[in-house]
Amino acid sequence: MKHNSDIVNRLLREKLERETQAKTRRHFIKSCAQGMGGLALSSIFMGCDPLSPSKPKTNSGLASGLSERDLNPLSTLAPHYGPKVKSVIYLHMAGAPSQLEMFDYKPELQKYDGEDCPQSLLEGKKFAFIKGTPKLMGPQADFKQEGESGNWVSNFLPHFKSVVDEVAFLKAVHTDQFNHGPAQLFMHTGSPRLGRPSIGSWATYGLGSENQNLPGFVVLTSGGNTPDAGKSVWGSGFLPSVYQGVQCRSKGDPVLYIDDPDGISRNLKKSTIDAINEINKEEYVKYADPEILARINQYEMAYRMQIAVPEVMNINNEPEHIKQMYGVEQGKESFANNCLLARKLVEDGVRFVQLFDWGWDTHGNVREGSVDLGLRNKCREIDRPMTALILDLKQRGLLDDTLIVWGGEFGRTPMQENRGNKEMAYKGRDHHGDAFTMWMAGGGIKKGASHGLTDDIGFSGIDGRVSVHDVHATILHLLGFDHEEFTYEFQGRPFRLTDVEGEIIKEILA
Amino acid sequence: MIDVLQQLLGRLHPLVVHLPIGFIILGLLLQWYDRKQNQYSEVIAFTYLCAGIAATLACITGYLQYIGEGYSFETVKWHLWSGIATALFSFLMYAKFKQLNLVAFISKVPVIGLSIIFFVLISFTGHQGGNITHGEDYLVEPLPNSIKSALGYDTFEEKEITLTEENWQDALIYEEVIQPILNNKCVSCHNPKKAKGELMLHSAEAIINGGENGEVLVAQDTEHSELFSRMVLPIEDDNHMPPEGKTQPTKEEIKLVGAWVDAGHPFEGSIQKSKLPKELFVSFFPNKHDVDHPDIEIPKASQDSIKAIKAIGVYVDPISESTNFLSVSCINQSSFSDGDFEILVPIKNQISRLDLGGTQVTDAIFEMLGTLPNLTILKLDYTKITGEKISLLENLEHLKTINLTGSDFQQKLDVFLNFKNLNKIYLYKTQVDPTGAKSLNNGKVSIDYGDYQLPAIASDSIIY
Repeated sequence: MKHNSDIVNRLLREKLERETQAKTRRHFIKSCAQGMGGLALSSIFMGCDPLSPSKPKTNSGLASGLSERDLNPLSTLAPHYGPKVKSVIYLHMAGAPSQLEMFDYKPELQKYDGEDCPQSLLEGKKFAFIKGTPKLMGPQADFKQEGESGNWVSNFLPHFKSVVDEVAFLKAVHTDQFNHGPAQLFMHTGSPRLGRPSIGSWATYGLGSENQNLPGFVVLTSGGNTPDAGKSVWGSGFLPSVYQGVQCRSKGDPVLYIDDPDGISRNLKKSTIDAINEINKEEYVKYADPEILARINQYEMAYRMQIAVPEVMNINNEPEHIKQMYGVEQGKESFANNCLLARKLVEDGVRFVQLFDWGWDTHGNVREGSVDLGLRNKCREIDRPMTALILDLKQRGLLDDTLIVWGGEFGRTPMQENRGNKEMAYKGRDHHGDAFTMWMAGGGIKKGASHGLTDDIGFSGIDGRVSVHDVHATILHLLGFDHEEFTYEFQGRPFRLTDVEGEIIKEILA
Repeated sequence: MIDVLQQLLGRLHPLVVHLPIGFIILGLLLQWYDRKQNQYSEVIAFTYLCAGIAATLACITGYLQYIGEGYSFETVKWHLWSGIATALFSFLMYAKFKQLNLVAFISKVPVIGLSIIFFVLISFTGHQGGNITHGEDYLVEPLPNSIKSALGYDTFEEKEITLTEENWQDALIYEEVIQPILNNKCVSCHNPKKAKGELMLHSAEAIINGGENGEVLVAQDTEHSELFSRMVLPIEDDNHMPPEGKTQPTKEEIKLVGAWVDAGHPFEGSIQKSKLPKELFVSFFPNKHDVDHPDIEIPKASQDSIKAIKAIGVYVDPISESTNFLSVSCINQSSFSDGDFEILVPIKNQISRLDLGGTQVTDAIFEMLGTLPNLTILKLDYTKITGEKISLLENLEHLKTINLTGSDFQQKLDVFLNFKNLNKIYLYKTQVDPTGAKSLNNGKVSIDYGDYQLPAIASDSIIY
């Protein structure tokens, strides 16, 4: 008898313990939320709810007030007003290309070549390496006015000349950062410090992605290195991590570990996922925790992506003349391959494609980093691919729906770099944030426009100066967002990509 | 001393009044609770006795407040008489439940009748009191204008700013631009009837006169012109205008008021004369045509139809939050075929952008596409269509772009001649001769055959 009652007691105790374990804080708050008190609580907690976008969501009428978004964070949402483009391809030249050898023609600078830089220009300025009094250095390229627009392009970019009438130049962009890492962060997240979401994350968070088998935000790198600022330049900051950029490799497996392990067939994988999802569904019936549904959804999405990602990342099936147009180098990691991939991704409905090409830091300390030789090689590497990208999108009717942005994190000085106050081995220029060139092309962009003007030596913008925030505001505008309304509640206040600044650059809009 | 006490007691009136209200409501509830057993008459009587005493106190404090705070008799008379009536009625109800047959007729009136009168009386008294403290339109104010005017209240008619690309310079700067802004966002609290802060903003003279803190406009000085500076304070700031919760002016409107102050706040003359730049006014121009959809208003598509379409894996979403037009895409559903079109029929008026690229549709689809009255952008790239019967689309007056890239399209370009608003056709990788016309209808329709090449040049292989 005694023995039996012991067993019963033990069972009862175990039951009690199990019940207590099952009642976690989450369930407590969850059950609160069903009462009036919970309603009040949830509004208090709204600020720390990672899934509460400040723009209204369409609730597809799912049980327990779950929106489609909770289940599938990449489902699409409508922007504030009519979008001009559906996708963005952002070409970032990491290291900062020299505007003075590519787009910003300064014949006056040639006249002062070799002369000391006037002190008035140097006062109060910070340079990364320039010491004492540097000498001015004229443009190391030949310029010509091209196309009907008559915009200037240097002989470093012979192919790009043919599409100059498709793009709009921003000649006087400025940034307040003069080192690569912070300047790249600023350019991509709107803040030179870590922690903010990148522009691609904002876009996918706000719009979702049409193709449910591919990531919404893809990052491709070339040039042998990743950006100095690290992966934070495509990070999701305080946004849910599902919106961060997915870095795909153009060589080898596009995503690491995407292949099924040896001995695991796709069918087995599917059964595994089905089994896990079955258990998860039971859990959901028991606890009605929306996170469980989101998890189910993500397993399935990952499974679909396993097929779709390698497919879209395979450029071998492209016809030969397309490969030639881009200058594809099969099996290599190159900017050309990435440009072709970018087109394929956008064609398949990917929202934001970010290309980073490394190796543009032309200080003149080494041959590759010289503005007359190394820069020319880098220009050759991007000239054909980026021109082909514009033409290829255009002929497929995709350029109407896509925005291409080209630029670096800052520009370069009109002075020759004199690191350590000594003459450098090669011709180079130091970091310079006061004035540099960017261009945009695609839907909603005024073709052949050129906005902004720098002074005679290209040191500062004298007209049409635009900030990094202005560039962001313009990109968001083209995607259909009011950059001042597009916010995310975090740590008790709404955050914006453009912080408290940013004006749409209307001059380059069609 | 007595004065102070009198005033203090008077000011306690708004507090004391809640006691009789509470007691009376409690009494009425008890009556309802006891409607069958009739065993709590004693308790109900006691409640009404308390109500009567509390109401008498409320009447006394109320009278003191009326004397002390300088209200006119005209303002308080209804409240005063109904308050006294409430107090008397409470005692009467007490008598009724105590069955003290003081007056013969009380016993004859059914108790339910008395209760209803009592409830109406206390509501009326309370409401009159509220009107004195908060103003007569306190409850009406949050209602939309249409309901307000239906109830017979004065409304400040919303005035619209109507500027166009052509006539904006001729519009009167104050009358047609600034005044409508102030009218819609400020005047409901700043008018001759209700001048909060003694400020009225309904006319030029009133604005110049300013309010209790003096002038609200200082020429060419936005910082010291409170009319402007209060609008740009953070919304949480107590001095922010319009107050939190009221309709706020848009940022374009605020900017415009600021520019107007900077220009010396002219009340006369046209925009041109004020020399304000065009960009301030552009946002008030009628919306420019959006590329993706016709410039008309249409009703929302039913959520159920959208759900049904999404369920088969076809993407449907509004083009933007500001329109009901939908973008439909089969990007996730390449098995979509002619037969599946049926599911799109319930939203046929809302579809303005349709992407059937890469699907199984055939030439039979054109008959169905012809029933989409608002179709603006059509993608049929990488499909098996040959373009036979594409002329069925020529009556679609909004159709602007047709993308046929990579399809089996093989018709003569003449089929597009009668299209109404077509301006772009993509024919890359089709069977149409790329040496054909680059445009149709005198350049109205441009044709892109694609197949762009980047010829190899010497510098392609020079390595520096």
